[in-house]
Amino acid sequence: MSKLTLPIDVMLFELRRSRTLGRIAIWFLLVAFPVAIVTAVHLITKFERGDEYVADDFIEPLGMAMYFLIPEVSCLLGLLLWATPAISTEIEGQTWVYLTLRSSGRRMVLVGKYMTSVVWTLSASLAAVALCTVVVGPTIGSELWWVLTKLVVLSCFVHAALYLLIGTLFYRRTMVAAVAYTVVVEYVVSFIPALVNKFTINYRLRGLLADWMQWADARSQAENVFGNEPASTHLQMLGVMIVLFLGIALYRVEHTEYPTQQEG
Amino acid sequence: MIELNQVTKMYGNVVGVNDLNVNLNSGAYGLIGPNGSGKTTLINLLIGHFHPTLGSVRVFGKNPIRHRTILRNIGLCPASDVLYPNVSAYEWVKYLVRLHGISRRESRELAEQALQIVGMSGAMHRPMGTYSLGMRQRTKIAQAIAHQPDLLILDEPYNGLDPVGRADMTAVLKSWTDQGRGLLFASHVLQEIEAVTSSFLLIYGGRLLASGTADEIESILADTPQQVSVIGPDAARLVHHLAEVPWVDSLSLSAGRTELKVSLRDPGEFYRQLPHWIRGESLAIERLQASNGNLEALFDSLLKHHRGETP
Repeated sequence: MSKLTLPIDVMLFELRRSRTLGRIAIWFLLVAFPVAIVTAVHLITKFERGDEYVADDFIEPLGMAMYFLIPEVSCLLGLLLWATPAISTEIEGQTWVYLTLRSSGRRMVLVGKYMTSVVWTLSASLAAVALCTVVVGPTIGSELWWVLTKLVVLSCFVHAALYLLIGTLFYRRTMVAAVAYTVVVEYVVSFIPALVNKFTINYRLRGLLADWMQWADARSQAENVFGNEPASTHLQMLGVMIVLFLGIALYRVEHTEYPTQQEG
Repeated sequence: MIELNQVTKMYGNVVGVNDLNVNLNSGAYGLIGPNGSGKTTLINLLIGHFHPTLGSVRVFGKNPIRHRTILRNIGLCPASDVLYPNVSAYEWVKYLVRLHGISRRESRELAEQALQIVGMSGAMHRPMGTYSLGMRQRTKIAQAIAHQPDLLILDEPYNGLDPVGRADMTAVLKSWTDQGRGLLFASHVLQEIEAVTSSFLLIYGGRLLASGTADEIESILADTPQQVSVIGPDAARLVHHLAEVPWVDSLSLSAGRTELKVSLRDPGEFYRQLPHWIRGESLAIERLQASNGNLEALFDSLLKHHRGETP
């Protein structure tokens, strides 16, 4: 029992030590920037349409904007900040040796840091989703809120596992590796109409968005973007990714001789 | 307690430690060597952080890489500083104890006890960013002893401590060894180790050059060529005496002619003759710097002995 709750204690320690002005400011920034953009788009649209504005017509464009801004950008930025440097900050701060010496240190710290990154990013992203749905009004918001909430949860869990893996593989220039991977794979490859885009997280999340929102037209017109698989397939693939990424990251952290930054 | 069999650790083409053979029973040992000699590599091998390229490492009879539970019996105070500025010593030590799988309640108690032992009770709830170097050093010791290990490994533990702090730390370490617990104390300053233990391992260039008590190491050095520096305004006037005796290997006079380096095959004879020469010619010689007062020279001598370059 004592060991089972260890990752929670790691998470509480990490959250406690991250109570800094900088981190809190970033949290608010991650909430504020999608809300600001969605508010601007919504107000401009309403202003341009005037009396002809019908909320139902804007569920799809606003839904896509909110999907892109929150699960695909806000979540990724938060996780880049938290999950990616999980190991490298300990190595650079010369604190890795203190953790590696503990009998449960390496694995439990990794799992705890995974939970921390998910909890922190999830809280900001869910707040952003809630505020955005309030901004766009009940007609659009009520349909989008539940779907985006589910997508944010999935995005956080899968991307956190991915970035944690990248962090264990590239403990030097970790951020560069993670950003390069995100741009190339998640933002470019995921749109390539070939088998390769089916192995990206964003392709699966977009597929779920179209499926859960029942955007049949979007799926038929842009199959390479939204896919045509059922939601269960996307969910299974995302589940496999989480297990695979975390499994490799745990193996890697357990068997790698990370430098201790000490001499002598 | 510690068993190393032909252990070599390579970092690419660089040798970290080279063919180490050590068998240490429970007790206190000083690991002495200059910076870059392989002390920290050896420590990282003992805690299972590094895999040996060749050979085997055993601590309490087990391989620390395969049996991570053995780490529960080891406490390490690394040379690196603690850099969690907004976390208190109590929270940090409690967290590290907890990472051994010890219950929350027990972790709290053990952390408090350890911080009390190192004299940090008064400041243990303050953020570590407000601590002096000495306070951080004490906190590092606390995290190493908090889970009550059987072997305590310290890497340069006196760094940053003032004389009072050093005396307090020495008392803590003596009390630790008096309890019959294992201690491995790494330092590049001989005097620091001598205050705690009289058993040494001397490491240099990744090789174990000698092990034993201070007397045993001195007896090794007695038959080993040693460098002695004769310093004073009349140092140059000793050259003609030393050039004629058979137990001098080489002489080297500094540019200012105030320091004469003598490589000796028979240091005993040198120390017998020198006072006669000084008195006989009323030479102004200020001091002698022998190898046991100069760590580099000591290691030079031991390295020659290790290579079999002794007469």
